[in-house]
Amino acid sequence: MRGPTTVEPVPGRTDELIINMGPQHPATHGVLKVVIGVEGERITRAVPHIGFLHRNHEKIEEARTYPQIITYTDRMDYVSGLQNELPFILAVEDLLGVEVPQRAKLIRTIFFELFRIASHLVWLGTGMLDLGAITPFLYTFRDREMILEITEKTAGARMLPNYFTFGGVRRDVHPDFFKDVAHFLDFFETRLPDYYALVLDSPVFQARAVGVGVLSRERAIARGASGPVLRASGVAYDVRKAEPYDAYPDLEFQVPTRTEGDVFARFWVRFKEMEESVKIIRQALEKVPKTGPYKGKVPPRVKPKPGARYRAVEISRGHLGTYVVSDGSERPLRVKHRSPSFANLQLIPDLFVGARFADAIAILSSLDPVFGEVDR
Amino acid sequence: MSRMPLPADRLVQPKLVGYDPTRPRPWLERLAYTLFFAALWAMVILAYGAVPALFRRFGWLSTTAGFLAYAVVEAVLAFLLAAVVALILIVVLRKYLGKVQERVGPMHYGPAGVFQTVFDALKLLGKEDFAPKRVDWLIFRIAPAIVFVSAFLLMVALPVAGGWVMADLNVGLLYIVAVSTLGAYGVVLGGLSQGNKWGLLGGFRAGAQLVSYEVPLALALLAVGVYAGSLRLSDIVEHQYGVWHVVPLFLSFVVYLVASIAELKATPFDLPEAESELVAGYNTEYSGMSFAFFFLAEFVELFLLPGFMVVLFFGGWHGPLFGLAPGSFAAGVLQSLYFLIKVAVWVWIFLWIRATLPRFRDDQLMDLAWKGLLPLALVGLLVAAFLRMFLEVL
Repeated sequence: MRGPTTVEPVPGRTDELIINMGPQHPATHGVLKVVIGVEGERITRAVPHIGFLHRNHEKIEEARTYPQIITYTDRMDYVSGLQNELPFILAVEDLLGVEVPQRAKLIRTIFFELFRIASHLVWLGTGMLDLGAITPFLYTFRDREMILEITEKTAGARMLPNYFTFGGVRRDVHPDFFKDVAHFLDFFETRLPDYYALVLDSPVFQARAVGVGVLSRERAIARGASGPVLRASGVAYDVRKAEPYDAYPDLEFQVPTRTEGDVFARFWVRFKEMEESVKIIRQALEKVPKTGPYKGKVPPRVKPKPGARYRAVEISRGHLGTYVVSDGSERPLRVKHRSPSFANLQLIPDLFVGARFADAIAILSSLDPVFGEVDR
Repeated sequence: MSRMPLPADRLVQPKLVGYDPTRPRPWLERLAYTLFFAALWAMVILAYGAVPALFRRFGWLSTTAGFLAYAVVEAVLAFLLAAVVALILIVVLRKYLGKVQERVGPMHYGPAGVFQTVFDALKLLGKEDFAPKRVDWLIFRIAPAIVFVSAFLLMVALPVAGGWVMADLNVGLLYIVAVSTLGAYGVVLGGLSQGNKWGLLGGFRAGAQLVSYEVPLALALLAVGVYAGSLRLSDIVEHQYGVWHVVPLFLSFVVYLVASIAELKATPFDLPEAESELVAGYNTEYSGMSFAFFFLAEFVELFLLPGFMVVLFFGGWHGPLFGLAPGSFAAGVLQSLYFLIKVAVWVWIFLWIRATLPRFRDDQLMDLAWKGLLPLALVGLLVAAFLRMFLEVL
């Protein structure tokens, strides 16, 4: 079904104000534009417009060799950069038939979960900024900085490291890596109570979040929502459990789920996911050998056999899938990314209409879209 | 090409002008704040104590020309005091938020960044004061003046020490209510006149917020008036010799505290300018000095509202006098210090609240004001009336 593509003023109706929220609005997390009609503070209509950050990823990737494409995938969800490399790499590994050493799988998993924490920290900071609290933003960005420094030590880059590669990771980890990660986890666990006190346990926050932007289970499934948004509506779907990849089959963790489907539930789920990530990384740190192979045997010229493969991973925002079609040459015939924020963003008309204007901001921050990945 | 070298523990700190992150100088900051406080104290002594005492000493007030000269000098001093208060509080706010948020705050202009606000103000002075085509020009230009003048007028009624007040009005409480409401008009008009939808929404919100908090605020002030038996602010302070009003009138104090945060448009109630929702709310289209006047007024109020709270509930200038005769100049100097210390504590609490809480929604603010604060204020008024009756019977 096609929804309305724009909001026109109703002739003769004077109580409705039509506002362009974005693309230069402080709370739209980048370049979303939502045309909304408001009656006082209540939203009557909402139409999201996307595409302001479209960079033609999928078409460009058809003209690049396989190792070059990894760099592009980083730039989709730039907040959780490293995670985006994995679905493409998994698909190509399947096509190549490469064995990945267990140590490389564990290293990948540690990085994957570190970036989940980093991404959720950015979400928490900016989300609370949208709700009017400045302080959590600076706390979370300082904690995230530690993750970025760990990444920098090993991979050389901070946000978009281009570190995973076919058959494992590009180079061995820095000698301090395991010590640094353990130190970060210890530190982060001392910080979590602060975040609970400032956010989830704050009565002002609860007043703003409980019962706001309720998304029903059926609606979430119908719109193809995934990630924390889906799990907050009572569906315990997590790609890490549904189609385990890398080292996840060997690790124990819960999938935090809540049934309310409101803004508070989505915040709660992300909080619990950060705690689960800490547990996952601790287990992986125990299992990972300190030395050993970090990359499997991969031919120098990556030429997968002809065929198609779809692999998905659970990035911070949900189900990120990549479909790769190979014709046997060193460039793919077609690459298609299925991005979670794009699907989650379809919920905007459902959730905005009937909400108050201030609620709309809270709802948008609880959906946590990243526009690099929405528009690709 | 060879492989990129591993970026082992390299952490190159950029060289910052005036700030060496490896060498923090907390003593310098403490010294700067002490000097700030001393400067504020000196300004208060000059404006409220020394100049009036001088005019009285030489009997200039009895002549018309002398009285006019007095009025002009006091007006200029009040304006300077307002400017000094705003300049100091802005940098204090930024430094304090920096401390809370684990960063250093302004660092570049002056030792430990103490002249940051001065440079900000100079920058704003040099900016073009731009008005878009769609604005309602007259109202757009008057609105910042209304906001600033109302904050400035409140300063006149503030009693800082025994006998030290620019205008000891016998209707002081009514004056506070009337003038502070006037400031909110400036915000509403500024929002509505700029022909910008965000400004319009900010103006709406400011109007809704104004009618919500002004009623409980006025009732809380009324309770103090009833209990003290006078609307004159210096009488109210004198009435607190035995026990501060915060003890018998605790309910009214709570109402005043919450309502004054709403009046300040500070964080839990910063709806009219909610920057993440309304871009900049009522001051979206303001620039240059027009914007600066909104900003100045906000910080003058950040000094005045805790100031009136201290006057009404925390014994104003009361404190041990160490044998100085009440009413003497030396006693006034000491009393104004007590007053400023109490105000500083409350400013700190206001900033702390601002740094901690997220923002309420507009309907929640109205719920809180009409369903929570208003009944509380009425009960507080009843309590005040009963206590007054008992005191008179005794």
